[in-house]
Amino acid sequence: MKTVKIERWLLLEQSGELPDRKRQRLRRELESSAEVRRLRDELDRLYGAMPQPDEKPGPLTLQRIHARLGRESRPLLFFRQWKPALALAAGLAVIAGLLIFHEKPGTASAVVFATAEADPGEVWDDPLAGDLEELETLILAISESPLDIMEL
Amino acid sequence: MKTAEPKKERMDLDDATYLAAYKDGDTAALGELVEKYRRPLFGFIIKFSEGREDADEIFQEVWVRAIKNMNRYRQKNLLSWLFRIAHNLMIDRIRRNRKTVSFDTPAFADGASVSDRLATERLSPDAETDGRELGLRIAAAADNLPVEQREVFWLRMQAGLSFKEIAKVQTCSVNTALARMQYALSKLRNELSADYQDLREAGV
Repeated sequence: MKTVKIERWLLLEQSGELPDRKRQRLRRELESSAEVRRLRDELDRLYGAMPQPDEKPGPLTLQRIHARLGRESRPLLFFRQWKPALALAAGLAVIAGLLIFHEKPGTASAVVFATAEADPGEVWDDPLAGDLEELETLILAISESPLDIMEL
Repeated sequence: MKTAEPKKERMDLDDATYLAAYKDGDTAALGELVEKYRRPLFGFIIKFSEGREDADEIFQEVWVRAIKNMNRYRQKNLLSWLFRIAHNLMIDRIRRNRKTVSFDTPAFADGASVSDRLATERLSPDAETDGRELGLRIAAAADNLPVEQREVFWLRMQAGLSFKEIAKVQTCSVNTALARMQYALSKLRNELSADYQDLREAGV
């Protein structure tokens, strides 16, 4: 049997994962081959020689884990608790916004806004232009008449 | 035939009980679990992190993620699950900070890699004289293995995970995990030929 395969079986045998049938075959190999025995002993000794981990995390690690879990779970809980209320408030805000800002065209505020935004060179139809012209003519007619203010 | 039993602590009823207790507000239960798995988990993390501070941070993150996702916990072996979280976290960090976290590329002014530096630090005069020098030489040589092989080596040799569990941690097949272990052993054999001679002849 190839050494690679034997080593694989030895590793699985060491970790307790080798099926019974293969274990029996491996046992036969071990009985008959000094090289396989040498390989098995080498793996066992290597395993035994490995130093056990002795590093420790910092003394405040557990407190920090608790603190982080507390910190990270609170906003989630908060959001879940207030989710329906937040949704309702958002819905109301949208409706209120629509009612406030959805005005009919031609109102004063719209005219003022449009006037401020208009390009001076741009030609556009003013719906009040006719009325303004009529008012201007009237004023001129009054100013040209020899009307004495004192008579009024 | 002599078998080297895994040095791991199997997931048992205690773990499930502790997790349930913590969920019910018993904070001490988490302390018991952290203490139970502290050595293998932190020992593994510190091998693949940039130092104690970094390892502390990852260790905390592993537990925070484990607790936050405990509803999805289905595995029999809690330690194996913790290793899997740690593995994913470290892979993410390596991808994010490839230049600074890579262990095998020069990271210091003298051109040494993090692995080289770790290996050198572990072979201090004090360590050489305390009777553990062979184990430390093996550990130092293992630090120079490619990440996947090194991970399999540590998970098997120190954490005592089975190859099936290692395959889950690394999201690969059992055969791949075994092959990585064999590559690792082969490289260690070459690098530590004299020590391997000792292993064969004198034993440990």
